[in-house]
Amino acid sequence: MSVRELYRRELGKATVDPSSSFQESLMHHLARREFMHFIPSKFNIYYLGAILLAGVTAGLLIFTTSSSDLSGTPGDKFSNPDSAATRFIDIQKVSPVRVEKDTVYKSVSVKSEIKEKAEDNNNQVTGIEKRDTEIVNEVAVAGVMDSIRNNGMFETSKPGARKLKESYRSGTTLFGMSSTKGCAPLKIQFLNNAGSFDSCRWTFGDGGYSDEINPDWIYDVDGEYRVTLQVFRRDGYHASSSALITVFPKPRARFEISPQKAIIPNDRITFLNYSTDAVRFRWDFGDGDTSELFEPVHKYDKYGNYNISLVAYSESGCSDSLTVRNAFSDSQFFIEFPNAFIPNTGGSTGGLYSSKSDEAAQVFHPVFSGVAEYQLKIFSKLGVLIFESNDLNIGWDGYYNGQLCNPGVYIWKVRGTFINGEPFVNMGDVTLLKNQ
Amino acid sequence: MMRDRQIIEGCAKHDRRAQQELFRQYSRFLLGVCLRYATDKAEAEDILQESFLKIYFNIKDYSGTGSFQGWLRKVAVNTAITHYHKNLKYRYHVDIDEYVSGETGVTSFEEDFFTSEELYRVLGELPSGYRMVFNLYAVEGYKHKEIAEMLGIDTNTSKSQYSRAKAALREKLNKLRIIKDSYGGNE
Repeated sequence: MSVRELYRRELGKATVDPSSSFQESLMHHLARREFMHFIPSKFNIYYLGAILLAGVTAGLLIFTTSSSDLSGTPGDKFSNPDSAATRFIDIQKVSPVRVEKDTVYKSVSVKSEIKEKAEDNNNQVTGIEKRDTEIVNEVAVAGVMDSIRNNGMFETSKPGARKLKESYRSGTTLFGMSSTKGCAPLKIQFLNNAGSFDSCRWTFGDGGYSDEINPDWIYDVDGEYRVTLQVFRRDGYHASSSALITVFPKPRARFEISPQKAIIPNDRITFLNYSTDAVRFRWDFGDGDTSELFEPVHKYDKYGNYNISLVAYSESGCSDSLTVRNAFSDSQFFIEFPNAFIPNTGGSTGGLYSSKSDEAAQVFHPVFSGVAEYQLKIFSKLGVLIFESNDLNIGWDGYYNGQLCNPGVYIWKVRGTFINGEPFVNMGDVTLLKNQ
Repeated sequence: MMRDRQIIEGCAKHDRRAQQELFRQYSRFLLGVCLRYATDKAEAEDILQESFLKIYFNIKDYSGTGSFQGWLRKVAVNTAITHYHKNLKYRYHVDIDEYVSGETGVTSFEEDFFTSEELYRVLGELPSGYRMVFNLYAVEGYKHKEIAEMLGIDTNTSKSQYSRAKAALREKLNKLRIIKDSYGGNE
């Protein structure tokens, strides 16, 4: 299993228990933030402000009225004979503001009750409150009345309705589907066969729902889902039925070519397989060769641009493919030289180096890719040829005729060809540094 | 147990019971997501807290199409990205070269050899930029182009960071495997 698949499989759906105090701290933060936001159903800073404002206004009002008329008029909406406490009045006055939405319902239901039964002899304060909200929500009332009427209808369960519902329960389904299983992302067309109804609600089992009559739904995550259709009729009749849908995981074909900047035809190319949810693979290397290994290794005969494709199949037969076009267009051929080195003072090393053995930069040598032919020459400032190499693996160790050269600047010249036949010529200078 | 729809509707009304139910049902999963983006559990819980607050306040934005869990995950991932950007300047920058190392021979790992704690720990040791790209590409399944946009980096940077992250993980896992193997042998 590749690193990618390992992580995807092990941590993609991993769960971790939060610390014991975490929920408490979260709820604390939540309460604090909710307080700072305007949420109609919750006591928040805006309501607090409104209450304070109302309190101050009421206080001032009472102060002015009581100072002008100490006894208070009986008809005054705020002066209740037995509740002298101003705070009580404050709350009564504020409440319609505080639960604006709820009051709509309340006041309307109160209103209809009044109509149906008789005149209510509520105290005066409630009467005022009711009238206030009615004015504010005049537009809303009509809609709410509608919904109340509808709700009322639904609540009345007629014996006939119940019978119909039972007949649906016994086997018959209300809907058809274009398929019940398939590979993710799975698009399913649902067909409502329920006959006559006024509204319907599809619940797709993955958290989504729809009120369309014949919806399409795409399941993009694999799993088993129970889809439910509920139909409603205005006369209170309602029915539902459900079915199970299986969505198979879709594999993902993913791979990477290693090395990333491969030298063709020199390098053996490893195809790193990062596919997920797949059990079977088919590789096409673009040069006519194919493989069914998990991570094949392939060698190309000649340089060229190849389209490499991988098809990954899952256990349930779902597949995914990925094609990398011109896979080796990134391959670059280059040769570069450093501008300084520090020869070994203990004697000539012969100039043989490898990228690992020459970490101390004791040998002057190039870094390169895709070089076929090569000739390096080093000259002193006076133009004397002091070093020459036709072997890429041998650089200059700083010695000339067994003697360490003096520190200073030397000239290098290089010529050769890359493996695609392109020639290169370059020159520059390098400083020979003295060790200590 | 409340159904998703009841939870969503309850949370939209800031009903405390629905909020708690959402927490109860999804906090473990979401912390699993956040921990992948964090160096340790404390940081993961910071991200988780911010995610939950976003979820509670923006649950109306959930359109009802696509899976609810997928939406929650997306919120957590976006929060992790924001968190990453916010904390970027405070981070200790690790020299990239430290992680450029020869590919070790083994590129394939057996399932169930590492515990999820070990996998999280190894991931947590990566430089945060690597960890972001690796998670978004390998686990979340975003494309490099999308990741580049999310993180405000170049597509090629995303690609190269991904392959370096992968190489670093591979090397760390190989080391861990050797340690675990020798430890197992002594028993």
